Amino acid sequence: MLPRGGVRGGAGAAGAASPGRHRRAPGVRAAAAAPEGSAARPAARDELRAPPRPGAPPLPQPREPPAPCPQASPAPHPGDGLRSPGVGSRGGGDVLIPAAVCSPRSKAEAAAIEKELLEDYRFGRQQLIEIWGHACAMAVTKAFPLPSLPRKQPTVLVVCGPAQNGAIGLVCARHLRIFDYEPTIFYPKRSPDPLYRDFTTQCEKMDIPFLSYLPTEVQLINDAYNAVVDAVLGAEAEAGEGREPCAAILATLKLLRIPIVSLDVPSGWDAEAGGSGGISPDVLVSLAAPKECARRFLGRQHFVAGRFLPYDVQKKFELNPPEYPGTECVVAL
Amino acid sequence: QEEAQAIDQELFTEYKFSVDQLMELAGLSCATAIAKAYPPGSFTTSRPTVLVVCGPGNNGGDGLVCARHLKMFGYEPTVYYPKRPSKPLFEGLTTQCQKMDIPFLPEFPAEAALIDELYGLVVDAIFGFSFTGAVREPFGSILSTLERITVPIASIDIPSGWDVEKGKADGLQPDMLISLTAPKKAAMHFAGRYHFLGGRFVPPALQKKYALNLPPYPETDCVLQLS
Repeated sequence: MLPRGGVRGGAGAAGAASPGRHRRAPGVRAAAAAPEGSAARPAARDELRAPPRPGAPPLPQPREPPAPCPQASPAPHPGDGLRSPGVGSRGGGDVLIPAAVCSPRSKAEAAAIEKELLEDYRFGRQQLIEIWGHACAMAVTKAFPLPSLPRKQPTVLVVCGPAQNGAIGLVCARHLRIFDYEPTIFYPKRSPDPLYRDFTTQCEKMDIPFLSYLPTEVQLINDAYNAVVDAVLGAEAEAGEGREPCAAILATLKLLRIPIVSLDVPSGWDAEAGGSGGISPDVLVSLAAPKECARRFLGRQHFVAGRFLPYDVQKKFELNPPEYPGTECVVAL
Repeated sequence: QEEAQAIDQELFTEYKFSVDQLMELAGLSCATAIAKAYPPGSFTTSRPTVLVVCGPGNNGGDGLVCARHLKMFGYEPTVYYPKRPSKPLFEGLTTQCQKMDIPFLPEFPAEAALIDELYGLVVDAIFGFSFTGAVREPFGSILSTLERITVPIASIDIPSGWDVEKGKADGLQPDMLISLTAPKKAAMHFAGRYHFLGGRFVPPALQKKYALNLPPYPETDCVLQLS
């Protein structure tokens, strides 16, 4: 009972381009739905395990001066003069500074994009975090495919900070688990936000272990895990976050020999100026669009997770994203 | 059907997933499956136009997410969403689609032939696994029209109008079925070309508890082709 039509080969590929153009479709767009506040999550659940026991004595801190934080955000440079937006092929095989393909954004712009997604486009915050966490996990699998891992067990340590970046880390860990990795989470300062607490439960109920303390003996971490996902601080954080336990965590991360994957902003870096003497991640996964500090990223691979961005947002902020192959949600710059 | 509902319940109450999260993953699976089986280049219509018909519940919500992702994959979806729940989740998803320039039809194409002419594929996101009882309007006439079209139909989770366990011999005959989480009993009666599994979020412990025996998904794909 093969139906006719619809799936014969031939008709020219529309490809992944041409959003926003329509054939005549019968009827017009219906009136927009009445605006309303975003979904409120039902309140508290008390599933939190015992607070982390204070572990080893504090490390002698090689205390780095916080990276200089410019008062005004530097203006974005679309294309950096190396490429004009919207013309010709992008991505894949181009020998260009990543910043040119997908120009970095200031903290203010990143916040504006997020605000627009939440308020105008009515994305839910949990929805966005799910999208980003899933994309980050995909990036991790591309940077460190299962067969390529050096250790026998596909272990990954996911270090989660107290705010949104940490929540994204939790979702990332869960998807890594689904992808057959063995994530372990270190989440010392848990967010009281009910939106994020469910993410914790989901991970716990998937039997993802939560460390009660981070070994300060870095060799232990180097030996136990193939890679570390840095989901400690995001673009919203202040430079060189000095508050515990982030400072101690960052100090430990700096000494690691195994690769680090940073989510959005290498923790401890200023989102715009970058980090001098901060951690040096191997892989950076930029959310929505790279941040200014990505210019100073020196690691092996830079992914951007921005496929879900509506076309109009991309245009409004002149994001010039690269082409995403097939149905992929992340692409390497 | 009860088992499917029990699994769903457990995902929400025990595992604390939110509907938003799972719906996003489910809709993404549907769009990905469609992209695999019906790549944009394979459409006989000159543009890869897709009609997404969304019902009044969660299946409709899955359809909205699917439409959005189809747009990002290069398709040109159009949505028909006659009965919209006034809940923030659905309003948000609708807004996301509208602001991405996905048109919402004010009325359903009256003739099957019109659908065949305008669209290369129809996504049936009308009723899901919670469906029981009689089909209320306007969906009764929508389903009769859909039963007469010749372009392929991709049904989300359950071909709409089918009994969730027994199927419906004289009902919709979709070309593709995307079973979410796990195939339902009705899937045994599915006779189309493409059966995909989607909704790659079921924790291993839950799979064991309900003896789902799901085959492994390939790598990081969010869909698995079962046939």
